Amino acid sequence: MANYSTNQFKNGLKLILDGNPCSIVNNEIVKPGKGQAFNRVKFKDLITGKTLEKTFKSGESLEGADIMELEMQYLYSDGEAWHFMDPSSFEQYALDSVAISDAINYLVEQDNCVITLWNDNPISVTPANHVILEVVDTDPGLKGDTAGTGGKPATLNTGVVIQVPLFISIGERVKVDTRTNEYTGRA
Amino acid sequence: MAMLEKSYLVKRSQLIKGIRNFFDAQGVLEVQTSSLIDTPTTDVYIDSIYSEVNTEIGHKTIKYLHTSPELEMKKLVSKGSGDIYQICQVFRDNEHGLNNFNEFTMLEYYRIGFGIHELMDDITNLLFSVGLNEEPKKLSYSQAFNDFVGIDILNINFNQLKNIAISLGLTTDFLWIEDLQMLMFTHLIEPKLKHIPVCFIYDYPKNQSALAKIDGNVASRFEMYINGLEIANGYDEIQDAETYKERFDNENKKRELLSKKKCKIDYEFLSNLQNNLPQCSGVAIGIDRLLSQINQ
Repeated sequence: MANYSTNQFKNGLKLILDGNPCSIVNNEIVKPGKGQAFNRVKFKDLITGKTLEKTFKSGESLEGADIMELEMQYLYSDGEAWHFMDPSSFEQYALDSVAISDAINYLVEQDNCVITLWNDNPISVTPANHVILEVVDTDPGLKGDTAGTGGKPATLNTGVVIQVPLFISIGERVKVDTRTNEYTGRA
Repeated sequence: MAMLEKSYLVKRSQLIKGIRNFFDAQGVLEVQTSSLIDTPTTDVYIDSIYSEVNTEIGHKTIKYLHTSPELEMKKLVSKGSGDIYQICQVFRDNEHGLNNFNEFTMLEYYRIGFGIHELMDDITNLLFSVGLNEEPKKLSYSQAFNDFVGIDILNINFNQLKNIAISLGLTTDFLWIEDLQMLMFTHLIEPKLKHIPVCFIYDYPKNQSALAKIDGNVASRFEMYINGLEIANGYDEIQDAETYKERFDNENKKRELLSKKKCKIDYEFLSNLQNNLPQCSGVAIGIDRLLSQINQ
């Protein structure tokens, strides 16, 4: 992979930092009144998901990371691995629990997800922004409460627990925003 | 573009009027010095923009756009101008970024008999008068490092500081400790200043003295940050020609070691100082940056 100098840094650029592939979230040029220019850069580690900040001397360079994002269909889990398929090549990929991470809360068989590949190896999965899940457990709600003034926890069929309005009952299908873990409506 | 909008123009005009009123009331004289001058800045990390002029009339010479009106204004102070201020456009090469431009507006002013603490108080009053009613926090450079990250920045040597930088995954590819100090300040301290509306940092390590007097192991120099953005840079000004010459030569030495072009020195300025500059403190304030923070 090519090297990128600080003057080529821009949001979304994928680079290797401390051995891990990272994506630039923010790149700020700071030039002290009496000193050389620096780039204060915020990165997202694409493996751990953590955000980190580094400051570089302008002109420093970092190795680019070979990152690809592909839309794939989630097939099934065998308990140890989660299997996905690239619908254009029919190629299958197996991800371990580390790569699956929090996405496990929103994996629905047959749904499309985005799989991030680093050097052709899957490192993470991003579920669709909205998924439809079934309520498998929640306290009975108050009759007639449709205003949604309060909320209550509900367990969905993937195991995730979110807050839902009081009128939602077991067996109903709800739409959830996977980025905020919030209920957005009945499905 | 926001800078073309009338509301911006009005706010900008009000700020500049407010600054003029503040200085008028104190009897500080407004001056205007040349922006096209005969010598570039020697400052190792500031590059002058220049042009060849008078080629067609047989008087070919290089003129430089001023990067700050500092030396030209000090010539006036040395000749007895008393307290002066100037609001002008300044020009710097190799500047590019969200807060860095090749041309920007600077307020530069000098107060005779002031030390840096009196000047910081004066700037605070100036900010109050233009509507920034935040009581500033004052931290010495060593206090900032000590309080925020527990580093004894004035007593730690280059190798020890390099080890800290390595542990943070930062580069140590610097020839001088002051450059690494600045990297550490940018990386560790500046992000903390984002949570402080107005903050003065003063008493810099002496190897970051620029053109400020040295007092013991610190330089009588300060910077002002608003919401973590560097807005002002002030000194208790060096008074004698010999020390100025040393500082200019030192910058040129650094330029040589970094394979940058050496700059000719402003000997006219030095000869103006034969009777020394009166004791004074001066500061440069970035008007565009200040405006961006007042508007928030």
